[in-house]
Amino acid sequence: MKPNIQKRIFDYLIKNKIQNFLGVPDSTLKYFIEQGLKKNKILITTREEEAIGIAVGMALSQSPSLVFMQNAGFANSISTITSLVQLYEIPLIFLIGWRGYLKNDAPEHVKIGKVQPKLIEILDLDYKIITEKNWKVSCNWALKKIQNQKPCALIVKRDFVD
Amino acid sequence: MSKGILLIRKEAIKIVAEKISDNPIIAANGYLSRDLYEVCDKPSNFYMIGSMGLASSIGLGLALKNRKKTFYIFDGDGNLLMNLGSLITIGVHKPKNLIHIVFDNSSHESTGGQPTESKNIQLDSVARSAKIKTFKVGTKSDLIKKLEKTKKLTGPILILVKISKSKKTSKRVNIEPTKIKLRFMESLRN
Repeated sequence: MKPNIQKRIFDYLIKNKIQNFLGVPDSTLKYFIEQGLKKNKILITTREEEAIGIAVGMALSQSPSLVFMQNAGFANSISTITSLVQLYEIPLIFLIGWRGYLKNDAPEHVKIGKVQPKLIEILDLDYKIITEKNWKVSCNWALKKIQNQKPCALIVKRDFVD
Repeated sequence: MSKGILLIRKEAIKIVAEKISDNPIIAANGYLSRDLYEVCDKPSNFYMIGSMGLASSIGLGLALKNRKKTFYIFDGDGNLLMNLGSLITIGVHKPKNLIHIVFDNSSHESTGGQPTESKNIQLDSVARSAKIKTFKVGTKSDLIKKLEKTKKLTGPILILVKISKSKKTSKRVNIEPTKIKLRFMESLRN
């Protein structure tokens, strides 16, 4: 996804009252995170589960939050999602960079990248693939979800290999 | 740390819970939540029944967003060891209104008393490296004294409470998780 679209997504979410952006950096989301760092709005944690925990504390304070991560980190977070976010019905937006979407991505990303759609479906976590064309509609969908006290995910495909 | 008879977890939890009255508590999963539920249930207790290790992170998020309230984390050694990075994040963001109490029996008691390594590496020294004010206590009088002292200090503070193992167990938290959440959120508004 192009740098300027990623920046616009960040600006759009902050304009629409997302107050906290926490997580572990991912190169697919590089420009989104860069924009947040520029505005001093990013909290980088040591692990993805930790970011979710802090975001849950913020959501309990009625402060809308987004947690960003790579899909490898999403796999790390499964137990936290089921036994905290879903069990207590905490409204959070997950923004996930999808490595291994391309079959010729680096070897460590291939298997987890292949199962990413099945993994999120089996967890019953509502999600949308966010693209350069649909980003605004997808953001509005996610904002509506958390307004209705539901967690959800936006996934960004890694459509290049470096 | 003064020498004397160590408390068991449930006694130590009761002492702290009574001493801090209505302040919100985020209690780690396992016997910690169960003991707190049995000795001092109140709406401002958040019982984290799953997501092992994350009580301190939830507490950090709450403290950063509610500067006027003081949050107490009731953690265990096993829980803290699963999320040691949390000490780094707390030490960097320095919420003044966060008091992290670690009840340390050097064991995973709720899974059968298997050992943790907190006997060999002292968790208060790890927290000190993360620039958190720390105290280590082992007796009832020391615990009460340090709790009093923390009221005059600014956080983040970590109190390591050395406790002994015990066969005494408490009943499970018998409140729906969504109810735990709603009454906790309601208590924050007061």
